[in-house]
Amino acid sequence: MSVINVRNLTRDYGAGKGIFDVSIQVKKGEVFGFLGPNGAGKTTTIRHLMGFIKPKAGDCQIGGLDCWKHRDEIQKRLGYIPGEISFFDDMSGKEFLKFVSDYRNAGKDNRIQEMLERFELDPKGKMKKMSKGMKQKIGIVAAFMHDPDILILDEPTSGLDPLMQNRFIELIAEEKKRGKTILLSSHMFEEVERTCDRIGIIRNGKTVTVDSVETLRERHMHTYTVHLDSPELAECFARDFDGICDGNAVTVAAKQSLETIFMSYYGGEGNA
Amino acid sequence: MLSMALYKREMKGSFKLLIIFGAVISMYVSIIISMYDPEMMATLDSFYEVMPELMASVGMSTGATSLIGFMVSYLYGFILLIFPMVFCILRGNGLIAKYADKGSMVTLLAAPVKRRTVAITQMSVLISGILLLILFTTGLEAIIAETSFPGELVMPELLKLNASLLCLHLFIGSICFLASSIFSDTKYSIALGAGIPALMYILQMLANAGEKAEAIKYVTFFTLFDANGIAANESSAVFGTLALLIGAIALYTIGTAVFCRKDLHI
Repeated sequence: MSVINVRNLTRDYGAGKGIFDVSIQVKKGEVFGFLGPNGAGKTTTIRHLMGFIKPKAGDCQIGGLDCWKHRDEIQKRLGYIPGEISFFDDMSGKEFLKFVSDYRNAGKDNRIQEMLERFELDPKGKMKKMSKGMKQKIGIVAAFMHDPDILILDEPTSGLDPLMQNRFIELIAEEKKRGKTILLSSHMFEEVERTCDRIGIIRNGKTVTVDSVETLRERHMHTYTVHLDSPELAECFARDFDGICDGNAVTVAAKQSLETIFMSYYGGEGNA
Repeated sequence: MLSMALYKREMKGSFKLLIIFGAVISMYVSIIISMYDPEMMATLDSFYEVMPELMASVGMSTGATSLIGFMVSYLYGFILLIFPMVFCILRGNGLIAKYADKGSMVTLLAAPVKRRTVAITQMSVLISGILLLILFTTGLEAIIAETSFPGELVMPELLKLNASLLCLHLFIGSICFLASSIFSDTKYSIALGAGIPALMYILQMLANAGEKAEAIKYVTFFTLFDANGIAANESSAVFGTLALLIGAIALYTIGTAVFCRKDLHI
């Protein structure tokens, strides 16, 4: 049974903006990648899931509950990282996390300390003075502190350095093993292909495709095996082009950019 | 019904403003009450003779013989209207619209807390602030009047007067709260939340100033607060106060309902 269920969700902002007839299902224990370029409607869909806006047409449910009517009930088991981080500037990170845990009634038995250590975050400073990456880390800690069953993550790694991005991906993998249901939105194919089971692509407010990662990868990643003159050359080539070296032969994969992938779905009218 | 964590945080946010407004009110109340003195009254009356419109526009009228009448003339026409009103405007805007505008409303709503609870908590913070200001003012007036002019101030009159003042400010607060709930943009929230009370006050000043402009008093809610009438136990003044209170309850209720139903693009 699907935990997150969006059916024919429509919200027209006029001038072609908005989301139109979006349907996605995320099963229990699944990591679902929600992929699309900026302004495609990812955040709008997520706002509906969070109960911030009421569907104009269609509906969305989490755990069988309507996202608008039962939003507070749903929040008990949900963790959310907003796409645009804006916390209380007047507080220090530590005060903020204390506030969120009190506000949520998260209790003493929360994961704040564990998360802070994992992301090497010292939350003492004022939030106003924090860098984008630090705020993002605070957002991650706030979303995971109450150990929710369902996670909605809107571009969760933006602002994080590559090392921390890796830590985050490890975290997602661990949570997945623990049976969490995760919706991860991103505009980077690399990020979702490393973590997700299935991927839904949205563009101009419409779901273009929902497919397993393997299918998408097969369709959009081309691998080439190149034979070089010597094993040394092959090794250098493999290092430079991120390939797999096997004697004289090197296998390299050419990843297409998200935009190219979209184009293949839309054909010539890609920008329509 | 109420989120204690949020209430505590917001009351902390009100604290600085309450101290500032408390200090300003203390200064004016102590100076003005200590000015109560028949000779000084003569001076003020002479001001009134020279520029009656100006004095009347800020609610100061001549012929205040008792201490309470004197206070009504010189405190309840301007100082005790304006300062708590500014507090309502500043706080009212910060409680909901600012969160929605900056996007930090996400933190409040991405938690198992009903929107109703958020709205009622923020409303309670505003009401608590107003209540604290008026209680402080009442205590201060009683203490200063008793120490400077023992036995001059009739306590039940002061209490009635300030109860009516409280209703006025609860009503002003409810306008700010409603504006804050309707608009997710602080620009509009301030424009409405500050604009309406300020405009009403200016109209009140005009209505006080001239006989021709007196009809304006029927369009401003400040007319419902009739300090002289309350002190004199007039039933029309009591009805005015009741109207303010009922209006306040209505606007707070509408504000909460609007906030619960509206789309938040955060």
